[in-house]
Amino acid sequence: MKAVGARLPRYDGLAHVTGRTQYVDDVRVHGTLWTKAVRSPHHSARILSIDTSKAERLPGVHAVITAADVPHNVYGHLEALGVPGDEPLIAQDEVRWKGQVVAAVAAESEEIALAAVEAVEVTYEEREPVFDIRIASDPDAPTFHQWGSTYPHFGPHNHRRVRKGDVDRAFEDADLIVEGVYRPQAIEHVPLETQVALAVPEPSGRLTIYTCTQAMYFSMGVVAAHLQWPLAKLKLIGGTVGGGFGGKVDTATETICALLAIKANKPVKWRFTREEEFLVSSTRAPWHIELKDAVTKDGWILGRRTLTLHDAGAYARFSPYGVTKHAFHHTGAYTIPNVRFDGFVVFSNRVPTTAMRGFGVTSVSMATEAHLNRVAEQVGMDPLELRLKNANRIGDTTGNHVVMHDPSTVVVTLAAADAAGYQLGEEYRSMTSERRTGELLPEHLVAQQAPDGDHLATYNPATTNGGAH
Amino acid sequence: MRLTVNGTEHDVLSPPLTPLLQVLREELSITSPKAGCQQGGCGACTVLVDGEPRRSCLTPIASIEGASVATVEGLGTPEELSPVQAAFHEHYAAQCGFCTSGFMMAAEALVQRDGETSREEVIEALSGHICRCTGYVKIIDAVTAAVNGDVDTARVEVDQSPRGDEAVTLIPGSPA
Repeated sequence: MKAVGARLPRYDGLAHVTGRTQYVDDVRVHGTLWTKAVRSPHHSARILSIDTSKAERLPGVHAVITAADVPHNVYGHLEALGVPGDEPLIAQDEVRWKGQVVAAVAAESEEIALAAVEAVEVTYEEREPVFDIRIASDPDAPTFHQWGSTYPHFGPHNHRRVRKGDVDRAFEDADLIVEGVYRPQAIEHVPLETQVALAVPEPSGRLTIYTCTQAMYFSMGVVAAHLQWPLAKLKLIGGTVGGGFGGKVDTATETICALLAIKANKPVKWRFTREEEFLVSSTRAPWHIELKDAVTKDGWILGRRTLTLHDAGAYARFSPYGVTKHAFHHTGAYTIPNVRFDGFVVFSNRVPTTAMRGFGVTSVSMATEAHLNRVAEQVGMDPLELRLKNANRIGDTTGNHVVMHDPSTVVVTLAAADAAGYQLGEEYRSMTSERRTGELLPEHLVAQQAPDGDHLATYNPATTNGGAH
Repeated sequence: MRLTVNGTEHDVLSPPLTPLLQVLREELSITSPKAGCQQGGCGACTVLVDGEPRRSCLTPIASIEGASVATVEGLGTPEELSPVQAAFHEHYAAQCGFCTSGFMMAAEALVQRDGETSREEVIEALSGHICRCTGYVKIIDAVTAAVNGDVDTARVEVDQSPRGDEAVTLIPGSPA
């Protein structure tokens, strides 16, 4: 424990300050070709034809690839968890978002690669795109995804559900009902280092791939799956990331570099421009969150109904995982004994969305905290005191029936109030995380409590009237 | 075309309108200036041209013929850090490191100026640089220390792989 509180030198600090850290774009391999992508100019369209012959004949162009060149084109980021794939590496027959890759070229210079992109002829038949997930989730709305308008693989359900207690009764017993709609927007990660990979064919027949990925072994599996190669033929080099923030979890550039390098039998690099990073790299998802709380006039939250629409963009990627995290955190750091949560992953003709710094959680935290302020205002209570009253305590259970054995809501809230010089009533200032007793254990919170003692070992979720579904 | 980079004179073969960034990285393999946006917006490609910070991505080499260019490679070595490098290391001013070279060259231009520099002037001088890891406070601390001579390069040890108890004694002032 000697390291706690100590000022440790960064293991990469000296390399950073001497300019010697080698990012992917700094790797020098003689004869490296440049990559550029032919991207869809439409948000949604059928592909009628692709003609790459002119581009292939341009001097200095070494390889052009389309969907036909990908051994296993359709893949899913959650296939390892048994979820079927839905996204082609290169668009096949149709495009579902503006910027989707239709073909890719490798050439001796960036200028030649751009000329080759111009020379690829693609004809489309445009379709009406869908951008508003509220419209997209209407059963009568036109769909473009093979699974329909929403992601359907949540066990037996077509959306993520959480059920706890008796929500209908909570709303009958409430003195007032507080509703709110919260819509956090899409955010681009904007790493200073744009997406980049460099694939180098080795004389042994293996492929070395330098990558800026945040998820090395994940990328390795994705490349191997698309190529239908054994992992032993791939050597991935990475770990030095010029900013990622979640946006480099998806395998963005490695596979197309690999395919071009194999076809050209030359080293191939693909570095996104800043425009590509903004326009076509994945973003944090936009969300539509509706909260409805059953509240008593003295500030207890008896129950919560939640409807969440998560904008996945055109393909699933990690969105189902994001909405699952969202579900787990949807009551925030507060104890709400009766909850009914329904979260849908909705497809739209936007760039596919992905991980970003606590994705799924930050959106619902924002909604919950904004909503608690609204509740406090309508009840006529101090917003921090309302939070402290409903804060998680030892022995409380979350919406997913997880027993709290070391919750920090009370201590953190008190520390924040203290740091801000915020005045609280004495009964709130003296609060602790200890188990509920007396006035802090009203009748509606009794049933959700885990038994005292070794609650982790003995708690039976059935006692809280239902489980998570 | 002739350019002096970090004290070494080069005959440059790239066409005259080639951006300095591309000449440094692709022709001369000097890779500390980064291609963050290639449109002058992020500051990661900043180098000194005759002592002045310049966006190398927006500087055609024809406009600086015969100039003297300085990059981070010319500041110091891991064994002998320059004051700016030592300050960045000591203040943990580099997180992912991608913007660091640009920030350090802007700081180097400030250090080379005569006279006192206030924290506000440091902030102004760095305002064209983006750190998306948002480590601005540490960067401003480091640059303020460097420009005011509040850094002792000898104090900053250079062992890159400390282990065990050794790890906690490398930077003086540690409570451990």
